[in-house]
Amino acid sequence: MLGRKIMFLTTLLGIFVILLAPASAQDDPTTITWLTLGWPADYIIEEFEARNPDINVEAEQVGFNDLFAQIQVRLGAGSEVPDVISVDVPLVSGYALRNWLLPLDPVFTGDEVEDWLPAAVNAGSYEGTLYAAPVSTSTQLLFYNKGCFDRAGLMPPGADDRLTWEEIAEIAPQLTFDDDSDGTPDVWGFIWEQMVRIYQLQALPESLGGSAIGEDGLTVDGVINSPEWIEAYTYYFNMFNVWNAAPQGEEFWPADIFETGNICMFVGGPWNIGRFANNADLDIDWGVSRHPYFADGVPATPTGSWHIGVNANTENVDAATRFVHFISTGEGAELWWRRPGGGDFPAQQSVLAMFATEEEFDELPMSYMRTAADEATVNPRPRAVTVGFLEYEQILQNTFQDIRNGADVEESLNLAVQRIESEMAKYR
Amino acid sequence: MSNRAMPTASPARKPWRSQAQPIVVYALLILGVVFVIVPLMWAAAASFTPNHKVFEYAYPFSWRALFPVDFTLEAYDNLFERGFGRAVGNTFFLAIATVIIGGGVNALAGFAFGRFEFRGKNALFLAIVMLTFMVPVDLTAIPRYILVNSFDWINTWQGLLIPGLANSLVIFLFRQFFAEIPQELIDAARVDGATWLRVLVSIILPISKPVLVAAALLMFISQWNAFFWPLLVAPTKEMRVVQVEISLAIGQYGTIWNELLAGSMIAAIVPILLVIPFQRYYVQAITGTGLE
Amino acid sequence: MMRARQQIIPYLFLLPALLLLVVFNLMPTIATLFESMFVISLRSGERVFAGFANYNRIFNDPIFWKSFQVTVVFSLLVNPIQIALALGLAVLINQRVRGIGLFRSIYLLPIAVSLNVTAIVWGLMLDQNSGMVNGILWQLGIARQPFLHSVDQALWSIILIASWIGVPLWSLFILAGLQNIPPPVLEAAKIDGANAWQSFTKITLPLLRRVLAFVLVADTVANFLMFAPILLLTSGGPRLSTNLIMYETYRRGFLYGDLGASAAMLSVMLLIVFIIVGIELYALRGSD
Repeated sequence: MLGRKIMFLTTLLGIFVILLAPASAQDDPTTITWLTLGWPADYIIEEFEARNPDINVEAEQVGFNDLFAQIQVRLGAGSEVPDVISVDVPLVSGYALRNWLLPLDPVFTGDEVEDWLPAAVNAGSYEGTLYAAPVSTSTQLLFYNKGCFDRAGLMPPGADDRLTWEEIAEIAPQLTFDDDSDGTPDVWGFIWEQMVRIYQLQALPESLGGSAIGEDGLTVDGVINSPEWIEAYTYYFNMFNVWNAAPQGEEFWPADIFETGNICMFVGGPWNIGRFANNADLDIDWGVSRHPYFADGVPATPTGSWHIGVNANTENVDAATRFVHFISTGEGAELWWRRPGGGDFPAQQSVLAMFATEEEFDELPMSYMRTAADEATVNPRPRAVTVGFLEYEQILQNTFQDIRNGADVEESLNLAVQRIESEMAKYR
Repeated sequence: MSNRAMPTASPARKPWRSQAQPIVVYALLILGVVFVIVPLMWAAAASFTPNHKVFEYAYPFSWRALFPVDFTLEAYDNLFERGFGRAVGNTFFLAIATVIIGGGVNALAGFAFGRFEFRGKNALFLAIVMLTFMVPVDLTAIPRYILVNSFDWINTWQGLLIPGLANSLVIFLFRQFFAEIPQELIDAARVDGATWLRVLVSIILPISKPVLVAAALLMFISQWNAFFWPLLVAPTKEMRVVQVEISLAIGQYGTIWNELLAGSMIAAIVPILLVIPFQRYYVQAITGTGLE
Repeated sequence: MMRARQQIIPYLFLLPALLLLVVFNLMPTIATLFESMFVISLRSGERVFAGFANYNRIFNDPIFWKSFQVTVVFSLLVNPIQIALALGLAVLINQRVRGIGLFRSIYLLPIAVSLNVTAIVWGLMLDQNSGMVNGILWQLGIARQPFLHSVDQALWSIILIASWIGVPLWSLFILAGLQNIPPPVLEAAKIDGANAWQSFTKITLPLLRRVLAFVLVADTVANFLMFAPILLLTSGGPRLSTNLIMYETYRRGFLYGDLGASAAMLSVMLLIVFIIVGIELYALRGSD
């Protein structure tokens, strides 16, 4: 009687033991894990492994919206995996403050650091130490549908023109058409690609001379509710609510409806150039021009993108730093830029220079990449440097979404001040 | 009430004959069905539609939105090329393992709570089973992650499986059902010298089909639909589960709608295929728990 | 000897399940709640006992109180709505009409669909610009509605999404209760001249008391704990109108790394759930 019972419990225990056995028992090569987004990562991993047979890289790919909680939980728990992490660059300060990232200065030579765009090196550093190596950067251009301009009897801008926001405000309503007369346009005049993200919208107050955050990197009162911000976001409010030239509602990807002819202009990233150029079914005559600015202000173009860092608790410092070194410099950076289905903008000047020499960029529309490469270096405005960037970004995202859908500008910005100040309190 | 007929043995009771007009009943039934089925039909149709046409017939609405008029398998091809088949296999394996091992673990506990009198019974039930039922597992993930990491279970099957084996709701369901089984059946077996384990395996389980099916479905669905924990504990490609694979369709520079919906359809169809044939057991199991 | 072994058997049976629950559920819960009494220095990672400082902080935080208010309004709306509709649906699918089996199967479908998938699909259905619901309204000559983007409609939209799964799920439990009512009881009422409504309110409902009590408690808990649709669709907006406490707890803990405040909110929330469940159980306590 008792025997059977013991047998049963032993069996149960046995099942557990089998499950507890290590999934793989190989000692070499060293396996490192790379926490990153769902982009095609196999390509670069294969190239790296071919050159480094002693290292095996496993990608842990997560959705864009899930990456930040992943990093918070796993690095916050002091976990030794993942070994390598893709980092959205404004988050570097916050991660460095929490000691989650390994200082990378010894990994790179002076020449390699020199090769990166200075703005990218700055953004990847915290208190003078490099914590996340630049992989990509970004810039923004105005994309437009020439057919819309024809229809409205207007002249589209040239690739090197820089429209003012005032001109956009004048043109956009003329490029908005309500073909079925239901009171809601079917073809919209204008939108920002990342319509509620500070990444793209910070350029508005910055063009007017506003700042993104206070001197101490924490204060937002008097900064994000300053006259410049109120003026900038009143413009933004008007685009959606007064001139009715841009669609309210959900966040969406304007490129999707640009391709169907339902939006005439959008400010967006250079990744769209390759997308439109490679879309054989695209039936739209399109062009680009430079990022707009306010007539009374200065040109200001968003920048910043993905960097790559090493978990401070990794047990594989050597393998992890070798992978980081590979993907952020020289040949590896070039391979990452050229990966199939890519579209990122390189942060290495040596790779950026290839836009000027490669034949692929001699002809329209791919030659617009040269415009983008230049725009990336002329007026780049990185995002706020603050240890509380995620809080800052997400609360502002709520705020912009509210303003877009009709909330009072000043009230919304004041609510954002209250919320951000309350979150920043923990860093003081 | 031990004089009540056992759930499986009871002939279908004749329900209260309706006094309502059938026409009214049908009208209400169909109204509800529209609410239930339209989102699913649209999502299914859109998953078989080229990505740029996903919203084509939704606004302004046309019946075409509910049928894949521009039929393509593009989304499914892309998904499976990216390794969705592997995720389906992984999740299926995990869900089945959870049902088998978790079913045993939870049934044993339900049996102890339902049929034994012992010191600390109520305290254990309230402090462990009920309390853990009321706490959202996602919001206590940080200490659980630290624990599982200290076992070196990150990116392992055991990390995915073991924390979800014991299930308070399933223990509760088993307890309620087992408590209703007539004592005479157990006594007869005990007099014949059967061990308690034998009583459970040979007497109780065979007459508990409804609750076994209901518990199995509950455990299967909760593991099949798991997202947050698998994402934390095992995000590598080899170990990805269905819900994690679906979330990858939401990218930084756009969402591939038809792939998102195609993944969602595959994620939904497997539990649906399991739920529908067993629906009557669900109702019987709940009836048998004495909740009514 | 026999007796001693008898004593040990239930504990042996409980051991695997309770061990797993304690290790993977109870301990993490206690650890999380414990965290509400500590403040972690972000720079050094040092944990310092802080007493009730985190509670003080959230109680002085207007965002917490706004979320509290949203949570109360949400609960007062969603639970009665779901239970009333679930009761109605259960009565409906308990009717003996031709083809009822097929209808029951269709009504079970939402139970099998995950909350994440439901939220995503309904989010697209309710899309202001190209969603099907607005497409149907357009056909009916009704103006476009903002749904998830309006302070007045967003919470209702979340209620709709939660109910799409919740109503069928809870109606299944009520259906089980209905099927257990012996027909003679209702026949007798009919003979006594009770009409359908009278026999429903006077006989059926009282007999459903236990199952309704269970459904009420389980539904209350489920709705208090829900935050996936908020995370996926509204991020608490517009203007904090869907910022449920559970979402705020998630956001503070899992995105902003403010574990102390997050744990304090979770503790407050659990206390409220316990109190409300206690009140519900007390109010619905049986005389038997």
